[in-house]
Amino acid sequence: MKKLYSIFKQGIIFDNPLLMLMIGLCSAIAVTTNVSNGIGMGLAMTFVLLFSEIIISLFRKLIPSMIRIPIFIIVIAAFTTIVDLVMKAYFPDLSKSMGVFIPLIVVNCIIMGRVEAFASKQDLLSVIADALGMGLGYTWVLVGLAAIRELLGNGTFAGIQVMPASYEPILFFILPPGGFFVFSLFISLNIWLKKKMEAAARRKELVSKKEAA
Amino acid sequence: MKKTKLGVILMLYASIACASLAIVYAFTKDSIERQSEIQLQTSLKEIFPQASTFELVEDLTSPEPNIKFEAVYEVKSDAVPLGLAIKASGPSYGGNATLLVGIDLHRSIAGVRIVALNDTPGLGMNASNPTYYVDKIKKVTFLGQFEGKFLTDPFEVKKDVEAITAATITSKSLAKIIKTAGDAAIAYMDQKVMMASMEVEKPNGETSIVAPPTASTGFPIGSSEGKSKEKIPPQAGGK
Repeated sequence: MKKLYSIFKQGIIFDNPLLMLMIGLCSAIAVTTNVSNGIGMGLAMTFVLLFSEIIISLFRKLIPSMIRIPIFIIVIAAFTTIVDLVMKAYFPDLSKSMGVFIPLIVVNCIIMGRVEAFASKQDLLSVIADALGMGLGYTWVLVGLAAIRELLGNGTFAGIQVMPASYEPILFFILPPGGFFVFSLFISLNIWLKKKMEAAARRKELVSKKEAA
Repeated sequence: MKKTKLGVILMLYASIACASLAIVYAFTKDSIERQSEIQLQTSLKEIFPQASTFELVEDLTSPEPNIKFEAVYEVKSDAVPLGLAIKASGPSYGGNATLLVGIDLHRSIAGVRIVALNDTPGLGMNASNPTYYVDKIKKVTFLGQFEGKFLTDPFEVKKDVEAITAATITSKSLAKIIKTAGDAAIAYMDQKVMMASMEVEKPNGETSIVAPPTASTGFPIGSSEGKSKEKIPPQAGGK
């Protein structure tokens, strides 16, 4: 249980897919212009990541390592298309608001990266913990990026006007350069957080060593 | 020998993926079609709330080579024509955009709804965002500004059409699709009236069973007698 929790925790700060591993950036910058997009993309990505990792983990002994990459691509693409079709057929409203993100998920390298680096070597439970942690790590960054960009660039939060009417939106934040700007701030914040947490962990270790001695 | 084995394995995976996709596609196909049909009907009803029937018109095609009319409906309320609705698709920033354009008998746009649009989320996709206003004070959405707009206007972005911020290409392409559909509809309605009036003028000399072209066959284009225009044309852009 403790092992699963530590795997889950990795994706949120220490191995955050966007801020530390630096994968899946293009779609992240593109969709974070408003908060609801960020939540939608985060959930859709987590869902596909979870199921792709589960399938690859179950079949990992049946996949020859020489041709693993094409097989991963087939599985991911097929699974994404199935999700897309099912959503269109049975959840038309959801599909309407998230439809644009589904094709973006196929080209999202977080899924490919996690499948190759993690799911192809681990058992089912660890894989589920990893997918959920990575998904959460991805989602919080998207929502955070989107909140700042939407607030400053459009004066709204999730489509609701929050800034006073006299506020002139700074268009820069909605456009790609603003996306990179806010994103770089998030990277530095994350590194700062990581250092703080590492220092805290080291101190704890020292204390326990002293006590033992 | 080993390579052949690998190829066979890859082929197996691909065929399993294909088969499962085919099964899911077959299961969901009907449902997806039904959903899009329901969506189309609701959009038609939204544009023409008084309408009771939508008849498919076959003989109206797009004059522009890159804009296609996928379906044209003659909108009627108990045999009284209200206008035309055209499902038109044309190129936009992120591939083809499909719009449903309603044209009423006053030569103006009755309403525009998006059927399919794949532009940049947060920029071009604001065209379909019901809370994105091009006119923040009057709360007019991008598509809302076309409602009641007369087709004698040029429909040019930044002149009489307000563009979506940072999505000029989307704004221009959508305005062009709407204008093309509107013009074609007006031309079609004019032609219908001409044909109807020719029927009236047939020198048969017999009893004039033929009603004035307003009610039964044609479209009362230009017959402004007594028809108060409920819709006031919007102030053109303001710029």
